[in-house]
Amino acid sequence: RFFIDVNRLTAATTQAPVKRPREFACFSYDKNHNLRLDDSSLKWYYPPQAHELPANLSTGFDKFDKHDNSQDEHLDSLLTTIAHHEQQTGEAIDAKFVTWRGMMTKLMGAPYDEDGFEMNATIFQDCIFIEENWDFKATREAEQHGSWKGPISSQQMQFWGYKFETLATIPRPWGETSREEIENRDKEIVNNKEQYCSVVRSELGGKVLCLGGEVDAIWDYKPKTPGAKIDWVELKTSKVTQSNRDQFNFNRKLMKFWAQSFLLGVPRIIVGFRDKDGMLLNIEEYSTQKIDEQVRREHNSGNWAWRPWVCINFASEVLDCKLFSFRFN
Amino acid sequence: MGIPAAFRWLSTKYPKIISPVIEDQPIIMDDGTVIPVDTTKPNPNGEEFDNLYLDMNGIVHPCSHPEDRPAPKDEEEMMVEIFKYTDRVVNMVRPRKLLMIAVDGVAPRAKMNQQRSRRFRAARDAKEKEEDKQQLLKMLQKDKKSTMQVQPVEEVVQKAFDSNSITPGTPFMDILAASLRYWCSYKLNTDPAWAKMKVIISDATIPGEGEHKIMEFVRSQRNSQGHDPNTRHVIYGLDADLIMLGLATHEPHFRVLREDVFAQDSRPRLCKLCGQKGHDAANCRGEAKEKEGEFDEKDKAAPLKPFIWLHVNIFREYLAVELNVPGLPFTFDLERAIDDWVFMCFFVGNDFLPHLPALEIRENGIDTLVAIWKDNLPHMGGYLTKDGHVDLERAQLIMAGLAKQEDAIFRRRKETEDRREAGFKRRKLQQEKQQQRNGKGQQDSPSYRKSRGPPPETFAAASMNLISVSSIPKPAAHSITHDMVVNRQAVDQANVANKSAASVLKSQIQSLMAKPKEQAPAPAAEEPKEPTTEETQPKSPPSALGKRKAELITESDANSPAASSGVETPASGEEEATDTVRLWEEGYADRYYEQKFKVDPKDVEFRHKVARAYVEGLAWVLMYYFQGCPSWEWFYPYHYAPFAADFVDLGKMTINFDKGRISRPFEQLMSVLPAASRHAIPEVFHDLMTNEDSEIIDFYPEEFDIDLNGKKMAWQGIALLPFIEMPRLLKAMEPKQKLLSEEDRARNEPGKEVLIISDAHPVYEDITAKFYSKKPVGEKISLDTKLSEGLSGTVEKMEGYVPHGELRYPLERHTFPDVDFDRSLSVHYEFPTSSHIHKSQLLRGVKLSPPVLDRSDIEILKGKGRNAGRSFGGVPLNNNYNRNGGRGDRINYGPGGGNNRN
Ligand SMILES: [Mg+2]
Repeated sequence: RFFIDVNRLTAATTQAPVKRPREFACFSYDKNHNLRLDDSSLKWYYPPQAHELPANLSTGFDKFDKHDNSQDEHLDSLLTTIAHHEQQTGEAIDAKFVTWRGMMTKLMGAPYDEDGFEMNATIFQDCIFIEENWDFKATREAEQHGSWKGPISSQQMQFWGYKFETLATIPRPWGETSREEIENRDKEIVNNKEQYCSVVRSELGGKVLCLGGEVDAIWDYKPKTPGAKIDWVELKTSKVTQSNRDQFNFNRKLMKFWAQSFLLGVPRIIVGFRDKDGMLLNIEEYSTQKIDEQVRREHNSGNWAWRPWVCINFASEVLDCKLFSFRFN
Repeated sequence: MGIPAAFRWLSTKYPKIISPVIEDQPIIMDDGTVIPVDTTKPNPNGEEFDNLYLDMNGIVHPCSHPEDRPAPKDEEEMMVEIFKYTDRVVNMVRPRKLLMIAVDGVAPRAKMNQQRSRRFRAARDAKEKEEDKQQLLKMLQKDKKSTMQVQPVEEVVQKAFDSNSITPGTPFMDILAASLRYWCSYKLNTDPAWAKMKVIISDATIPGEGEHKIMEFVRSQRNSQGHDPNTRHVIYGLDADLIMLGLATHEPHFRVLREDVFAQDSRPRLCKLCGQKGHDAANCRGEAKEKEGEFDEKDKAAPLKPFIWLHVNIFREYLAVELNVPGLPFTFDLERAIDDWVFMCFFVGNDFLPHLPALEIRENGIDTLVAIWKDNLPHMGGYLTKDGHVDLERAQLIMAGLAKQEDAIFRRRKETEDRREAGFKRRKLQQEKQQQRNGKGQQDSPSYRKSRGPPPETFAAASMNLISVSSIPKPAAHSITHDMVVNRQAVDQANVANKSAASVLKSQIQSLMAKPKEQAPAPAAEEPKEPTTEETQPKSPPSALGKRKAELITESDANSPAASSGVETPASGEEEATDTVRLWEEGYADRYYEQKFKVDPKDVEFRHKVARAYVEGLAWVLMYYFQGCPSWEWFYPYHYAPFAADFVDLGKMTINFDKGRISRPFEQLMSVLPAASRHAIPEVFHDLMTNEDSEIIDFYPEEFDIDLNGKKMAWQGIALLPFIEMPRLLKAMEPKQKLLSEEDRARNEPGKEVLIISDAHPVYEDITAKFYSKKPVGEKISLDTKLSEGLSGTVEKMEGYVPHGELRYPLERHTFPDVDFDRSLSVHYEFPTSSHIHKSQLLRGVKLSPPVLDRSDIEILKGKGRNAGRSFGGVPLNNNYNRNGGRGDRINYGPGGGNNRN
């Protein structure tokens, strides 16, 4: 364990250098959560249309085709994909860290995190592999579910997010999708087994990272040029903000949205705002870069609870070998 | 809805859809040098535009017979006019990404029938005009032989360009295509505002009407990846229905650009005979134009006609309010409602079908339909149309709703007309008294004394003739003529106007000449005299009333004084074609089918057959607008529409279209042109049109009837031309095809779209590297939408083109220069093809403009909407109870809904 001096981090005038993430491989889980080393589960973004709102995000909760997450999947599919890539190219990747994007999000959010987390790391051939401490996470989640006292179960509220993804994506570009398919999205069975994952190379504070993470949808089309910017879309749901407290919480959430999207190079975050009963009311678009800029601009106004450079600098420090060697001892 | 009244109706009902175009003008320095507008600067309209589409026939036609100038004397002069006009329009819009120029190519068969009717009429009118001119000339010669020498008519009265040449397959269209390609390349070389603009030219060799080729392009782009959903589109054209097409794309950032038809025209009118200024037709001496100034270029004082925007986004706001039906069992989808609305507009008028007798745009026929639609929507279970397909069962409900009030509509129409007629007669009487007084007074007026005019009596008679022609207080005539001036229909009828002027003049002269010689007027062109009524009345020309008057003169004994009194008589009594159908009296349907269709009034099945053909037509038009031409061969095979009541069991119908064969240009020419315009067709075919023994001579009648069909104006009537039977036409043409010259044969072949870009454009390198490097990748490639800035499609190497070669000016006189080092690239271009159909949905990422309508606009519209379309009630003729049906309580036109329901 080590101590985070948020004040020191906040006062910092420089930010650890970062390099734009570039996708070099991808994989899909199909509807049965079987791994496929291709982009077959890629989705296109097409939001519910004005006349379809408000939409009940709870519709179909009883038929939810839910992924059984009681098993620790470790880094398996990420490593399989990397191995496949290395075979194809005949070259080993140059990353010093390999992990799921989610781990990095946690590291970045740690300066503002009250919950805490545990991770395990392994060094192999000069590369550090990091994964979540499964037991710690499972215990923590069980506690949270158990203590939940809201009128709507936390499972159902989780479903809202998946439902929104179903309502806001189509399996082919809009031009190739039939009206019927688009209009029947509300009747589709929600499935969270199916995923598209992007595997990127990026640099943070001079350290080369290889991150894998799910991306929800693509805005238009995936460019053919390798490494080119990709118009990914991150889909989120959040409660409509009615009070200052709501606004504060939403800003907090924005930090997570931003960190997640920043790490995979997702430029657009789409937030579906819902009421307390899970009715989707409106949809708003955020630019990842502009959240970052806005936070910087409002540095001194105190409206925003977090600072992007605090997140970046902190994650960079954590990845520094010193801290790691300290931890491994 | 190519009808002129449509535009007026739209702009009255939805006033905010129109706003003026702000246009920067070139600065003219004291020394005469002109500083052109720098169109790389921000658009003065406060908004930038990406794509400009030109429905090019809307430029070519007006340039071929301008209102305010003599017609161009040859094709080169006309091309230069076209360049000028196009340049002005492009500078107004300043498109930053794309310019598409679309010229009408061969049309679907359904359209050809209308073209045929227009062109046959134009030819007939031109012939009459020519006869008038010849006669006039003879009279002038007789009259003036002692004092002056009259020049041969051909030198003086410029030979009118035959607008019938503006049809695919003519040599003129070849010249036009070559000229447009040259000019766009020239602009790409010389105008910095064009550097980043892609130019697509779809000339007459590519099948399809111009505006529909544009729509196909827009649909193809929005269905493709890389399209920016916030592309700002502008379409220029004259058709009133471009705004409907704009709505149909479901691209909300869409505008229509056109000349302002309501602008007060302060420019001097030109003589309709010789096309010169300074006198009117009545005083035309047929003299050669006098040069004004050294270069005869003093016309610049005339202000340019202003342009207006029609905003599709604001129109969408209006429709969102107007069409909203609360409490539906399904959610209200504006996009679908808009499609239904566009569909219903077709009932009221379109280029492919005669409109339903009960629906007149001027009687707010669209409101009637909207009321029916709103009442039925909750029962229909969904919308009337979907992505260009009609739900026939639902269409039946709409027709049934209309049928409920059809009788009442006809009856009210008659009542209104009678009232109008009575009022008109009263006013006319007053006016005649007034004119008699004025006529006497005029002798002493200073302006009269100044002109060395005719003796008092004669002058008064002559001026009265003119007054009575142009000032006939015809209700609604004002709006019609207004619109017609800029509508294509009007252009097609320019000859009508000319004819009327010539005829009137002829009759004047004839009556004057009947008097003793010394009393004959010496036409005064020396001094600009007080303008006559004809001049001051803006845009009176296409008053077909005038034409009909003129015909009357020609028919009556021209030398008798009765001729002039005939002219004075307004549109009443004697020239009214007796309407023997009498829609306002019971039994009208029997009479209609008996007289118009020549079928037994008891043959009800025939009526249903006509109605089915009509529904097929509606389905065809809808597809044509939303998905592209569903059949190139389909057409409505009657001259008349059925009644709403004749539509039965539509739900049991199935409609399928067969794509069919696209006509070749010469087949179209043979289908639409009269023999008089055969100069536009290769000579080998002339025989078929002129020889009495030709097996298809029946297709080319010189005389044909025009059935007024209850209307007042000749141009509103129906030209009863025989329909072309394609198999017979093709069979007759077949043996002649092999006699065609190489050149003609080439002109009969379908062509390809051309894409022209400057070497300053980011995609230039990419294309030239792929086509012209040492290792070319092929002859045909897909565009990279990143480099092309959103343009999808494939491009193909063009034969004979090399990068940075020479650009040659294609015409004789070198009004424009050759360019030695051509910095533009020309390639063939094909729209991206997709097997998927257009969907009437907004694209993801579209950002709607902030609303323009305020609360009061919305309240006004809602107020209008409350009773709109319900004023006809629903009382059948044979139902005598409740004569007031509909005036009091609101009527419901939904199924089962009767009178007095709320
Ligand atoms: Mg057209």
